[in-house]
Amino acid sequence: MTTAATAVQDPRLPGGETAPAASARQLTKAYGAGETRVTALDSVDVDIQRGRFTAIMGPSGSGKSTLMHCLAGLDTVSSGRIFVGDTEITGLKDRQLTRLRRDKIGFIFQAFNLLPTLSALENITLPMDIAGRRPDRAWLDQVVATVGLADRLKHRPTQLSGGQQQRVAVARALAARPEIIFGDEPTGNLDSRSGAEVLTFLRRSVDELGQTIVMVTHDPVAASYADRVLFLADGVIVDEMHAPTADSVLERMRRFDGKRTS
Amino acid sequence: MLLKTSLRSFLAHKGRMALSLIAVVLSVAFVSGTLVFSNTATSTFDKLFASTASDVSVRPHSDDTADRQVGGKVGTVPVQTVQKVSGLPGVKSAVGEVLVSSAVLVDPATNKTVGPTSGAPTLTGSWVETPRKSLEITSGRAPQGSGQVLLDSDTAKKAGLRLDSPLRLITATGSYDLKISGIATFRTTNPGAALAFLDTPTAQRLLLDSTAYTSVEVFGDGSRSNDELRTEAATAVGTGFDLKTAAEQKAENAKSVGSFLDFMKYAMLGFAGISLLVGGFLIINTFSMLVAQRTREIGLLRAIGGSRGQVNGSVLVEALILAVLGSTLGLFGGIGLAVLLIQLMSAVGMNLTSAALEIGASVPIASYTVGIVITLVAAFIPARRAGKISPMSALRDHGTPTEARANRIRAAAGLVLTAGGAGLLVAAAQAGKAATGGAFLGLGVVLTLIGFVVIGPLLATGLIRVLGAVLPALFGPSGRLAQRNAMRNPRRTGATAAALMIGLALVIGASVFTSSMVSSTNAQIDKSVGADYVVQGNQNGLTPAMVSAAKSAKGLAHLTEQKQLAATLTLPDGSTSKTQLAAVSPTFVDDFRLPVKAGSATTITGGGISVDEDFATRHHLSVGDRLTADYGQGHTQSLVLGLITAKGNSFSDGNLFIGLDTVAKAVPAAELPQDAALFGKAEAGADKARTLDALQTALKAYPQLTVQDQAGYKKIVQDQINTLLYMVYGLLLLAIVVAVLGVVNTLALSVVERTREIGLLRAIGLSRRQLRRMIRLESVVIAVFGALLGTGLGLAWGITAQRVLVDKGLSTLAIPTEKIVVILLASAVIGLLAALLPAFRAGRMNVLAAIATD
Repeated sequence: MTTAATAVQDPRLPGGETAPAASARQLTKAYGAGETRVTALDSVDVDIQRGRFTAIMGPSGSGKSTLMHCLAGLDTVSSGRIFVGDTEITGLKDRQLTRLRRDKIGFIFQAFNLLPTLSALENITLPMDIAGRRPDRAWLDQVVATVGLADRLKHRPTQLSGGQQQRVAVARALAARPEIIFGDEPTGNLDSRSGAEVLTFLRRSVDELGQTIVMVTHDPVAASYADRVLFLADGVIVDEMHAPTADSVLERMRRFDGKRTS
Repeated sequence: MLLKTSLRSFLAHKGRMALSLIAVVLSVAFVSGTLVFSNTATSTFDKLFASTASDVSVRPHSDDTADRQVGGKVGTVPVQTVQKVSGLPGVKSAVGEVLVSSAVLVDPATNKTVGPTSGAPTLTGSWVETPRKSLEITSGRAPQGSGQVLLDSDTAKKAGLRLDSPLRLITATGSYDLKISGIATFRTTNPGAALAFLDTPTAQRLLLDSTAYTSVEVFGDGSRSNDELRTEAATAVGTGFDLKTAAEQKAENAKSVGSFLDFMKYAMLGFAGISLLVGGFLIINTFSMLVAQRTREIGLLRAIGGSRGQVNGSVLVEALILAVLGSTLGLFGGIGLAVLLIQLMSAVGMNLTSAALEIGASVPIASYTVGIVITLVAAFIPARRAGKISPMSALRDHGTPTEARANRIRAAAGLVLTAGGAGLLVAAAQAGKAATGGAFLGLGVVLTLIGFVVIGPLLATGLIRVLGAVLPALFGPSGRLAQRNAMRNPRRTGATAAALMIGLALVIGASVFTSSMVSSTNAQIDKSVGADYVVQGNQNGLTPAMVSAAKSAKGLAHLTEQKQLAATLTLPDGSTSKTQLAAVSPTFVDDFRLPVKAGSATTITGGGISVDEDFATRHHLSVGDRLTADYGQGHTQSLVLGLITAKGNSFSDGNLFIGLDTVAKAVPAAELPQDAALFGKAEAGADKARTLDALQTALKAYPQLTVQDQAGYKKIVQDQINTLLYMVYGLLLLAIVVAVLGVVNTLALSVVERTREIGLLRAIGLSRRQLRRMIRLESVVIAVFGALLGTGLGLAWGITAQRVLVDKGLSTLAIPTEKIVVILLASAVIGLLAALLPAFRAGRMNVLAAIATD
């Protein structure tokens, strides 16, 4: 709570490490109108710190995915402002949003991350291809080595295991050096071992490559890899936790359940 | 339960079904339209003939000799015949009539011929009152005296002629300036001819140059049957006449109209056939995609106990719903099409009434049969595939499993068919006889076509890899994605491209054939024709007045006359052959360089006769053999075979030449037919263009004649061939329209299938523009792939056809390179157009919704 409050008082620190990679101010997202109006996000203020691994948790319907989609420029907002780096993205046209996603944002989805017609390497370099940029060879090699895919680059997605596919998706997100990577339950479809592998890579990319990552998850173990966990309920950030462990997150989540049943 | 599932599924996919539905509707509409049209036309003409034919018609006896001569004498019935039959018991009245097709009507104001241009005859005759007349005078009066003529209203309207307008009549005896005394309107349907009437004495004088009739029409009083009347009349008039009852006349007339209607019918059924064939691919693709999309659903159905047959059946029931709906719409569409055709016919001059549409039971029966059979056959393959889906698929994430074994079988079958077809084409090209070559060609075309359809999906992978290699370089990521997408489902790409391939193969085959025909004919004109000018009449030939007018033109070195003469040849082995002889003036050998196989061309003018190589081979003739020609009317002549012309020349093939002087020794000049054509040569040193002008001016009074120099003659030939080609193009435009629907269909379904992929691409930064470009390029790749296959097939077909007919006058091969390039470019444009809607829809997709799609 305190951190969030501080952030509101000091929204846009000029330059340096302290400027957030992404932030939202009074972000409200509602569906429908009148009687049937459903508020998914209710005046949310949030800052995503650069070079940190942030997890967003919350029960189903809490608005965690919506928050991520809005921050990533995939969804429109009802009111409020969103910044990615120095750019305010609220009010941008589709073309500008697309360009922003292409150049500044990386994505890892729960499933169906890869184009079946392209090889692993082609999938990894796709965002740069689309932008018409040449990939930085040394960086690409480093990323590929980090996720351990050097011998799988020529394979098509169908020839890779689920874990390998997600690692390719991570590599794709990293390769273009985006300002921020958003993961939507990136380990949701994996068994715990493959999931742990992918999460380790995400952790390492933050520690070793200085990447900023935001991940939506409902798995306390996954959240424990993050530096900071934001808890959402009914469209509002209700709590946050630094240096979380699986147990502490699980404990916090139980309280939601308790609250709900009471 | 099964029906309910199928119905729900059909309704759920109505958008997807719509394009297949269009294909079914189009095909069925052509079938039903054709039937309604020809039924209506046939019944209208039956009614017309039934209401106007006399009970018994007496005409001069004719063997087919007269029909084969151009500008021959018209046979007549003596005036006394009327008296002979009118007194017979049961005869109410007998009327002598004159009616000939040899006269030409000209509007003096414009010096243009009046009458149909569509090949229907201009009939001129005597105006006589009979109990059954097809025309009634609606303004003015019946013609009286030598200066008056009555014209039918349709012709008058088309030529802009009114009461009292001048009208010139040109007959074998001369040109006559007349005035229109009256206009007559058809009581029933106008079959398309132009009709002009004079009073009987004038008609006899101007048209026949003798006091006689061309027929005597007998009307009974009802006490005897027509057959009895005919028998009695036959005894009364004696020999030398043909007597026909009303029923026989009707049958005869129906036959002549029928040949035109048959042509229309086959052309339309051709449309139907092509749209069915191409539409079949569209239906196969639609159902294949529906089955592929529903793999999990079908797997689930199987897992909970649905049998293979039930799954198979449910797809077929869906196809049946489509078929019934499509056939019903097609049936009504066809009736609309028939009405349209009837309107079109009346614009040409054949006034059918759409008020009396003859539909009959055959139309719905044929429509539903065609629609249902084709749809079920096309849906059978996807249905069988659906039946094979294992219950396990319900649990697996769906994806298209590669079917290595099926591919090997497909490759083998396709290769065998294509190789067999290609072998036949090669054999056809080398066959000595055109007939065997033609059979090989036909079979080769069918086999290569099927072979290409079967092997298409395999070619798709290879060819598109090569073809698409330039795409990533040219269009970046959109290009690469498009190329991969086009390759990812080769069977679908193959079937989509096949639809386009068929149409284009036919277009290109026909183009190669016709352009070879044009250039072969041109080459032959250059090689064999020495004459500078050609004068041709219509089917009536040239009167002596015209010939002498032509001769008066300044600057002509000579004018060669050619008559078409019917004759029966008795050959050395005793067999006889009914044929036509081309009787020519001595200067003919200067005008045409006949290709010599054996003998010498000069023998033609020296009392000999020439035959073509095929005729000589067929009848085992050699130079020096003696033949006897029977010209009819007891005129015979013994002739020496002096020349056998080499085959492969369109001027001498099928022609037997003889000297006009030679014929004149056996047949009196008065009995010879008019000239069929004139060939002229300019004097040495004369200005050829000015001489052409002089010749045209000399013949100005006869607008029915065509006067051409060599270039003009070539152009006429070319125009005739091109007319043929345009009809083929019209036919194929439809095939291409259906093929485009197929491409739209495939792309639209692919876009739906790839919703998540598109969502992902958009999420990671593919712009709308890039996305649309990706879809457009995929479409272009498929279209160009189909066009390339079609071009390959079409070229092979066209070249083989030329080789087969090399001895039949198609001596030079001409490949219309420009046309082919245009067609390939057009196919790319077709691809772009087909992608418009699918690309627009893909661009409009909501990114989040697309990602979230299961």
